[in-house]
Amino acid sequence: MTKFRLIAPLAVLMLVLTACPAGDTGSSPGGDGSAPAGTDGGGDGGTGAEGDGSIVVTSLWGGTEEEAFQAVLDAFTESTGIEAEYEANRTDYATVLRTRIQGGNPPDVAIIPGIGTLRSLAREGALISLSDLGIDQASIEGNYAPGILDVGVVDGELYGIMVKLNSKATIWYSPERFDEMGVAPAEDWDGLLALTEDIKAAGAVPWSLGAGDGWTLTDWFEIVYLKMNGTEAYDTLFSPDGDWTDPTVQAAIDKMLEVLNEENVDGGVDGASATAFVDAIAKVFSTAPSAELYYGGGFVGGIATGVDVNPELQGQEGTAINWFPFPTIDGNGEGLVTYGGDVMAALVNDSDVKAFMEYLTTAEAGQVWAEGGTIISPIVAVDTSVYPTTLIQAEADQVTSAEAVRFDGSDLLPGVDLGAVLQAAFRGEDAGPLLEEFQAAVTTAWAEE
Amino acid sequence: MAVATRAGGPVTPSERRPGEGFNWTALAFMAPAALLLLIFLVFPAIYTLVLSFNRGRGGQITEWVGFTNFINLFTNDPNFLRLGFPPAGALWNNVLWLVFYTFLSVSLGLLIAVMATRVRYEAIVKAIVFLPMAIAATAIGVIWSFVYFPNANTGLLNAILGIGGVGPAAFLGSTDTVNWAIIAVGVWGSVGFCTVILSAALKGISTEVLEAARVDGASERAIFFRIIIPMISLPISVVSVTLIVNVIKLFDLPYVMTRGGPGASSRTIAFSMYQEAFPSGRFGYGAAIAIVMLLLLIPVLIYNVRRFRSDRVTA
Repeated sequence: MTKFRLIAPLAVLMLVLTACPAGDTGSSPGGDGSAPAGTDGGGDGGTGAEGDGSIVVTSLWGGTEEEAFQAVLDAFTESTGIEAEYEANRTDYATVLRTRIQGGNPPDVAIIPGIGTLRSLAREGALISLSDLGIDQASIEGNYAPGILDVGVVDGELYGIMVKLNSKATIWYSPERFDEMGVAPAEDWDGLLALTEDIKAAGAVPWSLGAGDGWTLTDWFEIVYLKMNGTEAYDTLFSPDGDWTDPTVQAAIDKMLEVLNEENVDGGVDGASATAFVDAIAKVFSTAPSAELYYGGGFVGGIATGVDVNPELQGQEGTAINWFPFPTIDGNGEGLVTYGGDVMAALVNDSDVKAFMEYLTTAEAGQVWAEGGTIISPIVAVDTSVYPTTLIQAEADQVTSAEAVRFDGSDLLPGVDLGAVLQAAFRGEDAGPLLEEFQAAVTTAWAEE
Repeated sequence: MAVATRAGGPVTPSERRPGEGFNWTALAFMAPAALLLLIFLVFPAIYTLVLSFNRGRGGQITEWVGFTNFINLFTNDPNFLRLGFPPAGALWNNVLWLVFYTFLSVSLGLLIAVMATRVRYEAIVKAIVFLPMAIAATAIGVIWSFVYFPNANTGLLNAILGIGGVGPAAFLGSTDTVNWAIIAVGVWGSVGFCTVILSAALKGISTEVLEAARVDGASERAIFFRIIIPMISLPISVVSVTLIVNVIKLFDLPYVMTRGGPGASSRTIAFSMYQEAFPSGRFGYGAAIAIVMLLLLIPVLIYNVRRFRSDRVTA
């Protein structure tokens, strides 16, 4: 009796503790890309298991971006009968996604935060390629402008589909305030410098900058570099063959710092360094603006007219808010546009996921999304007239009529922080040694991928 | 207890001597705790060590890389360690924290503890100083982010500077000030802890000793440095060691206030580990940083264990 009293709880504890890991390994997805969901656990090539009639999609979109995407999910449910649940993680998205993958509980479909992450997740076996889902790349290629799908290719296999994009060749301003100051948008770099001086002469602060977010500076660098050096040099720089110690890199940094410096930026270098990008947008478009120009992607329009900044601007597109194309530099870069975009990838192989990925490539999905007014659809069949505002119509025109478009280069780099180098250069540090360090780091990172 | 042992095992634990056979009862009692420790402490530690010599794709053991992670960490990662003048990087930031945060917290805590004993409203002073201890570290980070905010309409500190005619400063936006700004927040959060512990220790000094010193003509200064400090040296070292451990594992303040920025200038070792392992997915590299952290903690732990043993002998 006494003996049993001692042993019994222990035995129970042992059972519980040993049972847990055993149960887990039984159902874990493993690292070979097979599907954890799906009743018979299939997933070796070909199509996956039969779905259970519902999928979970995660991304980091919130606010108006989330509403626009929810409309796509609703349309998908309507057309297929498959329930689609949306989960947003606005902060620490990559961390949460990786944790869910490691825990054997990945979402069915996820926006992948960056192409470097797409590559590493694909090589980890966490993603299902489109051919494994049973979707033929050739059959959907015609839906997209040339080169757009290539962004989602890893080691020759298509994993991620570009679902939305934004031009990153747009400079935002208020036409009304420009009229008051008697200034006009610039068409070339010298014009931009003159515009900057004119705004100062009118007693205002020309530029707002959210350098607290390093990517705002990488966007600056990329467009300047592309305009100065063309597509070929751009492609090389953001590939494993890129040489960051090349003088063209330093020249592009110097060029952007002609505009972004203590005299031209609201709050000076220190103030801008402590400003996040939404706050920087608000400096130009809030009800109490303190600066006149903001360079950023096409999504700036949605944010500026959204609840985070100034919803009163809605309906005043073209008068209180507008953008002009990023100017040419020394006569170069006419018609060259950088763009950012998000790719979506499948993490579970079943028929529901396949249906969803296929749906995303259709003009119908692109149109529903485009109507939300937060994105440009990469699908060519989407007519620009469906975009709800003139701002975003013009942005779509800019991208579709561009001579060449190039994907956000820093998003292509493996886990290195170009933004940190540019932040340091912006603060006045000598970029030379930093670029040498960066070159070493980026070489290692490419090799380790 | 006695019934159980007599019935369950051949030996009575209190009478057991070496060589008398294995004590199964003791093992049975220790097993649950030992098992939990094995699963939740020993296994993860060993796995981390193994992972640090691996590429660790997706947190799995994938490809052995030898010491590459460690070599890169110390020679090829300016975000972790940049030698030169002044040095920079997460490791160097932790050194700054170690020296300034620990010294300032303890000395301010001691100062307040000593001064508070001499005033009538001691309880109020201590309550106010202790208040930050009741605030979660993340909340402290958020509060001070507002205090430091560059816009004087939000940022209390810049509003005060503005009255003095000094332009707004971006305390968290400049690499020159960011670490000092966060260390100041850490000190603000820890002084209360030091004050309370040290003030309790001060109460433990018998008044006879102090009176005897005063009768012998010792100055207050001499009493403080020659009598008070030596007599509370043990609590001081307890407090210091606690703070040092806090520093080595410091993550919350940089995470909440700056995300390690601007650039990577306010990263700490623990923040680097998080950044590399989770958002960047370099689990092997992150594990190597964790191992460096562990190695830094071991001397502190050894010191702690030793002192614990000697205390049991003397006290």
